[in-house]
Amino acid sequence: MSKYLDLSIKEIHELLVDKKITPLDLVDEALERIEENKDLNAFITINDKVREEASALGEVEPDNIFFGIPIAVKDNIVTKDLKTTCASHILDNFIPIYDATIVEKLKENKLLIIGKANMDEFAMGSTSETSYFGTPLNPHDKKRTAGGSSGGSATAISGGLVPLALGSDTGGSIRQPASYTGIVGMKPTYGRISRYGLVAFASSLDQIGPMTRTVYENAALLNILVGEDDKDLTSVKKEKEDFTRLIGKDIKGMKIALPKYFVSDIVDEEISKRIKEVISFLKENGATVDIVDMKYLDTAVNLYQIIAMAEASSNLARFDGIRYGYRATSFNNVDSMYEKTRGEGFGDEVKRRIMVGSYILSGENAKTYYDKALMVRDDITKEFNRIFKDYDLIIGPTTTRVAPLLGTSKDDPHKAFMDDVLVIPVNMAGLPGLSVPVGKSSENLPIGLHIIGKAFDEATIYRLASFIEEVF
Amino acid sequence: MDKLSREEVLHVAHLARISLTEEEIEKFRVQLKVLMDDIDKIKEVKDYDDEMMFTPIEENARLREDVVGDMLTAKEAISNAPKKNGSFIEVPVMINE
Repeated sequence: MSKYLDLSIKEIHELLVDKKITPLDLVDEALERIEENKDLNAFITINDKVREEASALGEVEPDNIFFGIPIAVKDNIVTKDLKTTCASHILDNFIPIYDATIVEKLKENKLLIIGKANMDEFAMGSTSETSYFGTPLNPHDKKRTAGGSSGGSATAISGGLVPLALGSDTGGSIRQPASYTGIVGMKPTYGRISRYGLVAFASSLDQIGPMTRTVYENAALLNILVGEDDKDLTSVKKEKEDFTRLIGKDIKGMKIALPKYFVSDIVDEEISKRIKEVISFLKENGATVDIVDMKYLDTAVNLYQIIAMAEASSNLARFDGIRYGYRATSFNNVDSMYEKTRGEGFGDEVKRRIMVGSYILSGENAKTYYDKALMVRDDITKEFNRIFKDYDLIIGPTTTRVAPLLGTSKDDPHKAFMDDVLVIPVNMAGLPGLSVPVGKSSENLPIGLHIIGKAFDEATIYRLASFIEEVF
Repeated sequence: MDKLSREEVLHVAHLARISLTEEEIEKFRVQLKVLMDDIDKIKEVKDYDDEMMFTPIEENARLREDVVGDMLTAKEAISNAPKKNGSFIEVPVMINE
């Protein structure tokens, strides 16, 4: 078997430019790897036209390092004529009639969509075990979770099946699986990337982002994903910038904050120890790292539960068995058609969240729960902004523990949220956050460092991440 | 273990338009109680101001011109409908005499 996909994107690009290989070689290698590692359950659907698409790409574009590179796309991002299931029975035959804006961008840049990555059903979960199509496994230990909800994307990168993937992050769903599988995952600032064609879960929190093997490849991929879009009016217009521009720079004078909560007793000792080693390293290299008090961090999971479940209950009302998706076969009237379609079509985690979300938004409850959560959300955001007056970045561990064994949080509705306790605050404030690997535990499982930046300052996150990546 | 009543589960299932089997009702009596207790913790937050945050990008919110853009064909629009007849989507009878 060829090994081109183990090379960096830059090296692959050189081989393509020198005509030593073709995009079809890369696609064939990826398909072969996916087939050989079928037990990893990284994909729900393989793009059966991808070989044709590879052959049709034409002349190599020497200035486009992504030309002909295979990429995995999380299965909640719609792809025209390519099945998009959200890992749910209710959409198991859904063939989108348009491309998400982000998919148009991949195609314009001549990336090749190899298939649709497995995930938690409608991105609800933290271990990808809520998928209707089996659970993606962690390539570092197949008895363990690859995290969630972008578990399939993380498995695909970590298992060496493809070099690039897209995930989505509502409450840590890019960064937490990246940490569990030892890859680089970025949730950009809310508004950086168009959400048009991302099947909505919690619209005020959702954001698409790149998942890659290295920091450089992550930043380079982000370069082509960003930009405002008239089809998503929450996407923000910004000057074009190169997110790789600070990679390779030193970190002298950088001011970094470490909130006490991120190294409190909720974090496993081994992980805290590794974070302390990272901090010593940063200080030795001229950065200042201060431990700071930050209010409201411990309320973030609570806010997330309320906001995400409420918004999900509203967003998922569209699944009614009429316009698309599964429809129950036996019912008496239109009401029972809705109820049976949704009862038979959704899995347990999704049902729980929609039910509690509907309760949260019913009558006076909307004030008690949702409005209050939005008030505290505003406070947590102000708290981040207060810290960012004095600091360039905030760091901490991405997760409280290494990847847990499969089956340990299934059917426990509370645990599913606690896996994301350290990453959720970032979504509340809409800030960019990235997980970068910082070595392995005594059990040889990856540990991730979480780096949080100011709004729209992804470039500084990449600067620190690349500096750390060189050493750990 | 603390549980919701059967009626409470059926009430939220109705709000959500989700039918449940007997087995699910029993399971969700426990599981929904856990989540209801979780969301109740918001009541314990005392120190907060009353400004609400609806989206992280309020300052940048914009509108676009209301102009006709690309449109779907009727065929495309109903291509994923689970029940159709010619160019129509089939639904159960909704109005009785």
